[in-house]
Amino acid sequence: MTAPAKEQTTTTTWTGQSLPRKEDERLLKAQGSFVDDEGMYRQGYAQFVRSPYAHAKILSVDVSKAEALPGVIATLTGDEVKAMTEPLFQFAPKEDGSQVNEYLLGVDIARYQGEGVALVLAETRGIAADAADLVEVEYEPLPVVTDGVAAAEPDAYVLHDSLGDNIAWKGLFDWGDIDWALENADHILKIDKLHFHRYSSTPIECNAVIVNWDPGTDMIRVVSNNQFPMFGALVIGPSMGVGTDQFDFVSQDIGGGFGIKINSYTSIGVLALLSRKAGRPVKWIETRTEHHQSGGHGNERTFLDIEVPVMADGTMLGFKMRAFDDAGAYLHYEPLGAVIWSQVVPGPYKFKHVQVDYTETLTNKCPAVPNRGYSRMQHLWFVERVIDLVAQELELDPVEVRKLNYVQPEDYPYTTPNGCVYDSGDLPQALDMVLEMIDYEGAKKLKADREGSGKRIGIGIGTTLDSGTNNFGQSRILNPELPFSGNGEACTALLDLYGEVMLKLGTNPQGQGHETTASQVAADILGMSPETIRVWTGFDKSHSTYIGFSGTYASQFAVTGINAVIGAVEKLKAEIIEVAAYAFEVEQDQVELVNGDARIIGNPEAAIPFIGIANMVFANNATLPHEMAERVSLTCRHVYVPPFELPDVEKKYGNLTLTYSTQTHAAVVEVDEETGKVEILDYAVVDDCGKRINPMVVEGQVHGATGLGIGAALKETFEYDEDGQLLNSNFLFYHAATAMDVPNIKTSHIESPSPFTGTGAKGMGEGGGAPLHTISAAIQNAIGPGKAIVSDSHNPPERVWRMLNWDGPAEERGVTVVSNGDGA
Amino acid sequence: MLLAAVDYYRPDTLAEAVEALDSTEGARPLAGGQSLISILKLRAASVDLLVDISRLEDLRAIAVADDGSVRIGAGVTYDEMAMSPDLHRSHPRLSQVAAHTVDAQVRNRGTFGGNLCHNDPINNFPPVAVALEATMHVTGKDGDRDIAAADFFTGYFTNALSSDEILTGVTLPALNGRHMGYQEIEIGEAAARAVAVVATSNGNIESASVALGCLPIPVRRPQVEEALAGTPATADAVAEATAAAGEGIEPLSDADASADYRQAMASVVAKRAVMEAIEGGQNG
Repeated sequence: MTAPAKEQTTTTTWTGQSLPRKEDERLLKAQGSFVDDEGMYRQGYAQFVRSPYAHAKILSVDVSKAEALPGVIATLTGDEVKAMTEPLFQFAPKEDGSQVNEYLLGVDIARYQGEGVALVLAETRGIAADAADLVEVEYEPLPVVTDGVAAAEPDAYVLHDSLGDNIAWKGLFDWGDIDWALENADHILKIDKLHFHRYSSTPIECNAVIVNWDPGTDMIRVVSNNQFPMFGALVIGPSMGVGTDQFDFVSQDIGGGFGIKINSYTSIGVLALLSRKAGRPVKWIETRTEHHQSGGHGNERTFLDIEVPVMADGTMLGFKMRAFDDAGAYLHYEPLGAVIWSQVVPGPYKFKHVQVDYTETLTNKCPAVPNRGYSRMQHLWFVERVIDLVAQELELDPVEVRKLNYVQPEDYPYTTPNGCVYDSGDLPQALDMVLEMIDYEGAKKLKADREGSGKRIGIGIGTTLDSGTNNFGQSRILNPELPFSGNGEACTALLDLYGEVMLKLGTNPQGQGHETTASQVAADILGMSPETIRVWTGFDKSHSTYIGFSGTYASQFAVTGINAVIGAVEKLKAEIIEVAAYAFEVEQDQVELVNGDARIIGNPEAAIPFIGIANMVFANNATLPHEMAERVSLTCRHVYVPPFELPDVEKKYGNLTLTYSTQTHAAVVEVDEETGKVEILDYAVVDDCGKRINPMVVEGQVHGATGLGIGAALKETFEYDEDGQLLNSNFLFYHAATAMDVPNIKTSHIESPSPFTGTGAKGMGEGGGAPLHTISAAIQNAIGPGKAIVSDSHNPPERVWRMLNWDGPAEERGVTVVSNGDGA
Repeated sequence: MLLAAVDYYRPDTLAEAVEALDSTEGARPLAGGQSLISILKLRAASVDLLVDISRLEDLRAIAVADDGSVRIGAGVTYDEMAMSPDLHRSHPRLSQVAAHTVDAQVRNRGTFGGNLCHNDPINNFPPVAVALEATMHVTGKDGDRDIAAADFFTGYFTNALSSDEILTGVTLPALNGRHMGYQEIEIGEAAARAVAVVATSNGNIESASVALGCLPIPVRRPQVEEALAGTPATADAVAEATAAAGEGIEPLSDADASADYRQAMASVVAKRAVMEAIEGGQNG
């Protein structure tokens, strides 16, 4: 709406329309195909034997009774896996080479409750379950480490001897001059501790794999719902001693991913080994309990010793803090989270001076893996907590403090202290809009009216960023030796034998509507209806197109996927026009494509339908010049590559992401003073993801991210007891948000086109965890000054009740303000 | 998880059911299965024989007696309770509770008797039975016997039945002008729950029965009841009388809430249940 848009000529008609999704008919009619709908001839069913201990030596594994059970086909133990594989690739070994040694199955030591230590394959799921019960594992319990901060202490019990301590990665991020800022600020706000909790977006479909290691061809066919199979292949291939060319990854419909389903690569690997051993296809459908205990959790992060230099008018100069990420027992995709947060260092604000002493630790918990808003939402929640505490403690208006510190519309493109470039946006306008949507003045009046009634009103704002299309070069900040950088996606556009238009994508969506949006942009280029364009459903490595980054994750399809589609379809269009121009005996610029015909401009009678073009190329090529017949394939592949450079690993500086969507949320909540229960009375979202290819798809993503965020803020948490036992290992104890918990969400939007993406679109699927920021702020607002502060991202009734009833001394509130005299 | 192999028997008569339970080691009655089957699927308990009593006609009726009391068969589902016009007249709040118990699928299967016998602290009906001073009707190899609700619940997931006995039905005394309040705090599942049965007259509380749930054994609160009797039926008086409702109880701590919080909330739900009963003249 405000930032200047780069001229984009290709998308004019269908792009931008809220077309119903092509995918929905089959999904709503239960005609989708998920892994458990599939099968292979003579498949057996696998069951993991999992450690009941959070930390224990594995003294022995005896499979003899299990193997004697009728119907059991084979077993596999950690010792066997150790003998036939290498430890998994690690992103960031220490300088001396020490690193975590992880195998595809627990070997010698089980390091979290639910870790697989053996596998059983049987003719039925029931027999497999019975046989797993017969596997006798002798354990010797070890001391348990569950606190991600204490794990870093020198005297902490070490999980991995090969690493030497529990520190997965540690680094100092230092930009600007925080010491100068702390000396020259009028006030310094000090916060003792903030904690972002562990939870998951709990996809409705758990992990699932069918794998066949074909003894004849040595090909490994994997039907799974893994959402980033290329990453999985890169990690498990070397461990298993197989080439990535041996893997055929297949998926059709996937019941939610949220990043969590990147994690199933270890299961895929070990199930493949079981298939090879048994000579049979192996099917494994993860149970909900298994998923909660071992499928992967979102990152938990603790922020300590926070210092925030603030000027008297509320201008914030930056912050200093120590951060501890709890990676769990193994590094799955981690420690990438240790740098991914730095895509959004100042949040949506113009802070210049930032110092973060960051440590990622290993504990006896389920491995942390990407989860919607991965690593950035933890940091953005921290930034928003800081903003609201500054406002409260200095008695400033939280709206005005935000507007004062926001990156302003005229600042874009805005370079952050660590070299990231925020592309476009209009945060002050978004804030004004969202406040109007919740009737901010009316809400403030309601708050005053309700005082003394036993029900307190709280109003909260959460501004967040959804950084998309990341530069994988940021991984070099963890380890300069890593051979990763850039990003991209592939698409192949083709005419089939009778001239049908088909697109093959490199992505494997989990509900993001890629079939619909890809056909919309292609339709505009080819001058035809999206309905007449077939987007190949699902992914199959053997015939889909892909590069190393292919998959569906990290808010990027609208940029990488769509630009790959545009590039491929533009190439296809050029070939169609070339063939048509030859047939018409006119110049190529005299040909246009309209409704599936190539026509001479200005002469609609002179038309060749696409079937005619396809005929000439595929089945009638003696009609073409030989050179053209060999060159033109009507099968056009394009790889979109975003414009990235390598970051400066010494300064930890560089452009780490191409686009930054913004979301501004506001909530009015009611807090029951007697119980601490929080009810959402009003909730509004203003989304700005630049040019929207399909507004309805965007709106769906906004709703989904908001629902998951509300669930996380109020209901969903993974809690471990001191023995490392997970207390929420199924939906009885893990309270996923349902339709009953998510209020009516008011939505509106701004379109600030990205100048960097060609189309003006930005990635936006993850949503940046804004409800966590917003609800924390609203609860803080309801509790008010002088009491305990909202220091946790998860606020169930008891925690709120304790804050309401807090009556400790002022110095124990968790926040203090130190003033530097007259401001020096 | 998957159910381990288990034997299954569906007798045609109550006597056959009792005989099967008595003669088979590790036999357990199966009614709606909404709790038992889940536990078996988690392999958290094992059973050798499931005796399916869900279709025994003797267990499936709701019958109102001349004195206004109502007998609910142990095999009556939540949905049948919710849809029964007789129960709606005699104990309207209970009918409402049944109608809002979990979801339609569970209400179609879950039974009143199963909910009581299973005695999971989160179950809805144990404190209702105690507050209403219900009578539990039991059949076993030695014949029939009645157990007062207050004596029926013996601890977490346990009750006073011996292994050959089946709960066949529960008689709820008539309300006779009293009203029932039922209040809970849900944190995913119920974390605190109170049931109050209150008689008022001329703006005063004549008598009150107050029971707390979400405990291993649902308990009456005699001191609260004494404090309520005779006081004005006002919010302030009720708040004062119920302030100590949580004293002495020992709720569990879990990932949802600590015992301290649950104890504090016992007083809150007790007050709210009494107030609901007082105000319940309008809606039941």
